[in-house]
Amino acid sequence: MARVATLGAALLLFVALVTPADVLAQSKDDTIVYALQSDVQNWDPPNSVLRESIILGYNVFDHLAARDLKTGKVGPSLATSWKAIDDSTWEVKLRSGVKFHDGTPFGAKDVKASFDRVLNPENKLTARGNHAKIKSVEVVDDLTVRFKTDGPYPLFVERMTALVMQSEKVMKEKGHEWMQDNPVGTGPYKLVKWSKKQEHVLVRNDDYWGPKPAFKNVRIRIIPEQATQIAELVSGGVDIIKAVPPDQMDVINKSGQARTTTSPILRTAMLQLDQAGRSGPNPFQDVRVRQAANLAVDIDSIIKHVLNGLGDRTATTVNPMAFGFDPSVKPYKQDLAQAKKLLADAGFPNGLEVGFLRTQPTVEPGLIQTSDAIVSDLAKAGIRTKARMVGESGPQTNLIRDSKADPMFEWSWGYYSIFDADAIFFDVMTCNQPYSYYCNKAFDDLVIQGRSTLDTKRRAEIYAKAQKLIHDDAAYLFKWGLRGVWGVSNRIDYEAPKDEVDRMWAVTPRKK
Amino acid sequence: MRRYITRQLIQLVVVVFGISVLAFAILHVLGDPVLLLLPQNAGKEEFERYRHLLGLDRPLYVQYWKFVSNAVLGDFGKSWYADTPAFKLVIERMPPTIYLTFAGLVVALVIALPLGILAALKRHSWLDNLCTAVAVAGQAAPIFWLGIMMIIVFSVRLRLLPASGYGTWQNFLMPAFCLGAALAPITMRLVRSGVIEVLNMEFIKTARAKGLAEPTVVIKHAFRNVCIPVVTVLGLQFGQLLGGAIITETVFAWPGVATLTVESIRNQDFPVVQCAVILLALLIVAVNLIVDVIVGLIDPRIHAA
Repeated sequence: MARVATLGAALLLFVALVTPADVLAQSKDDTIVYALQSDVQNWDPPNSVLRESIILGYNVFDHLAARDLKTGKVGPSLATSWKAIDDSTWEVKLRSGVKFHDGTPFGAKDVKASFDRVLNPENKLTARGNHAKIKSVEVVDDLTVRFKTDGPYPLFVERMTALVMQSEKVMKEKGHEWMQDNPVGTGPYKLVKWSKKQEHVLVRNDDYWGPKPAFKNVRIRIIPEQATQIAELVSGGVDIIKAVPPDQMDVINKSGQARTTTSPILRTAMLQLDQAGRSGPNPFQDVRVRQAANLAVDIDSIIKHVLNGLGDRTATTVNPMAFGFDPSVKPYKQDLAQAKKLLADAGFPNGLEVGFLRTQPTVEPGLIQTSDAIVSDLAKAGIRTKARMVGESGPQTNLIRDSKADPMFEWSWGYYSIFDADAIFFDVMTCNQPYSYYCNKAFDDLVIQGRSTLDTKRRAEIYAKAQKLIHDDAAYLFKWGLRGVWGVSNRIDYEAPKDEVDRMWAVTPRKK
Repeated sequence: MRRYITRQLIQLVVVVFGISVLAFAILHVLGDPVLLLLPQNAGKEEFERYRHLLGLDRPLYVQYWKFVSNAVLGDFGKSWYADTPAFKLVIERMPPTIYLTFAGLVVALVIALPLGILAALKRHSWLDNLCTAVAVAGQAAPIFWLGIMMIIVFSVRLRLLPASGYGTWQNFLMPAFCLGAALAPITMRLVRSGVIEVLNMEFIKTARAKGLAEPTVVIKHAFRNVCIPVVTVLGLQFGQLLGGAIITETVFAWPGVATLTVESIRNQDFPVVQCAVILLALLIVAVNLIVDVIVGLIDPRIHAA
């Protein structure tokens, strides 16, 4: 008996000892709590492909340029101005008096070091591809940098918002390993503590060059389960959550504790139709069948009734927020008679059956319901689908890349936060790209022209032509631009960001 | 005892080897990890370059041999995703999971022991039936559902406990109960049948005949004998408990090794998965060894034989 008692006591002692007491010394009034579904792998944004890394990066680091959320345009940040000196040279002037969190002043050498680091293939940084058009970076003086590019590079300005500026001194003295866990930026917040898979604690950088954040502390908590995130929001444990499923909006809005806010985001959803024949010979190689598919579906009413309005109809794949979007190209309108006629002309008077590769709604809210609605509309015109469901979006992506998709499949593209038509045209719609099931030489020519000039007016004209072309050619079954839904505590004011980058310094206490 | 432990250790090597081969094979069947490591708009050369950097372009047996020869020396490689040693990542996440499983174990015992004994003593009474009903309900309720329900009741409605998180004793209560509730029913049934069986034995009749008080008979003489199957089963259930931890950790945002493993499988982060699987296998084997030792302490006849 004594032995059992000893064992029991030991067990109790063990439990008592291992229960850590880690109470944070912040008051609720000067702290915002932000929830993310998964943690970042490191605090070195160019060494990560996760959106979470971009978000955290924005709060602790600065970029050369940043998007103004009101106008949607790229404006100054660490760079105060830039101009193209010739077709392949950009000159950038830097802000003076900026300091890194460790006190070292920021200057041209840091810009050069940051770009050199990401461009050097030996460093294995995953963001390298995004900046590979840059050939070299030259320091002109302390506050002037010149970029040499491989031919004209119209996305240069957009891409300035995509690389954080890190300190040359830190790279030299501390090195890559250290930088994985220790961010030294110039941004509005500093990292105090990172408990992996659990939380990040940030504190305001009182020496920040820009406007001071209203809240002194930020806690970024990792909460993988969506239902738990919502429970935390409505019980006051968390202030901002993102990617709220449309069917949960009511729960939040009726709680009295929090509300939802939505914003269009830079992601366009569509159904790819295998025009290129990568899945084998199929009916969608005939333009009439593709047009029939577009005419068969009542996208507007699906957005309204199935998505509760959480989508913005697009005539093509180009998102309305992207540079080059042409509003004069009008979306297809449902016309079943015309769809049937086109099918008959194409040799399918009794309709046809095609395979449809589907996946889970990890990226696209309401995907299952909206695809069901599209399937039933298609069937009315005579296009019957045979669905193949793949559980996760990763394996679906694999199948698509390996040319093992069905003639029709679900797809969406987030532009890698580049607000430019080129970011979807080149990456997913030109011939021979890993995810492109569309191949049209005339279209490819326009895309190449568009990325070979710095003249914005000329580029806009080229992209208008390209949109007309893919619309008339019914390159895809065009759907809509997505909207994101955020849940926000009633104690703060916060507007959903268009670029999906949550900026904690933009959060303010709610005006009573 | 020594021979017994030697045999266990040999078994351990075989188990770990088997598991590492299985994990390696399954991961390679799952698909191409590079696809998840690089942005979707990366070009073909970028994919090839990365595959070469990670050694994925070499034959499978070469990759496996490289992994095993390093792992034996304690080097599981670097996480492809986090750029830190896999071993460090896994070890850092181990304690929260161990605390949680032990807390779950304690909860299971606190529920199962008294209820099991009571049910045995008052066999076929309404109390026994109630306990059976609770056990069935407990076994049938999915951990996931139970966790969310507790959050809704205790955090959203009553505002008594934090809905999720890690670090204070309040954070422990719901996850531990959630995990314990899954283990309690089987333990309770075991205690009940054990007590019933033991109470019919000759030495209990002797104890009663000596005129000992009933509580002394039950606790001192009967219970100790019941402990043997219970402790054994708890040891065997430890693996199950770790499985339950995956769900519990996800629901309550618990920063443990179970969620790390699932996440790494999703990311196809081979080094971390390999390391986690092997360390968890070691842990389960170690727990079973400890259980055997405890059983020996309770009943010295077992290992003496």
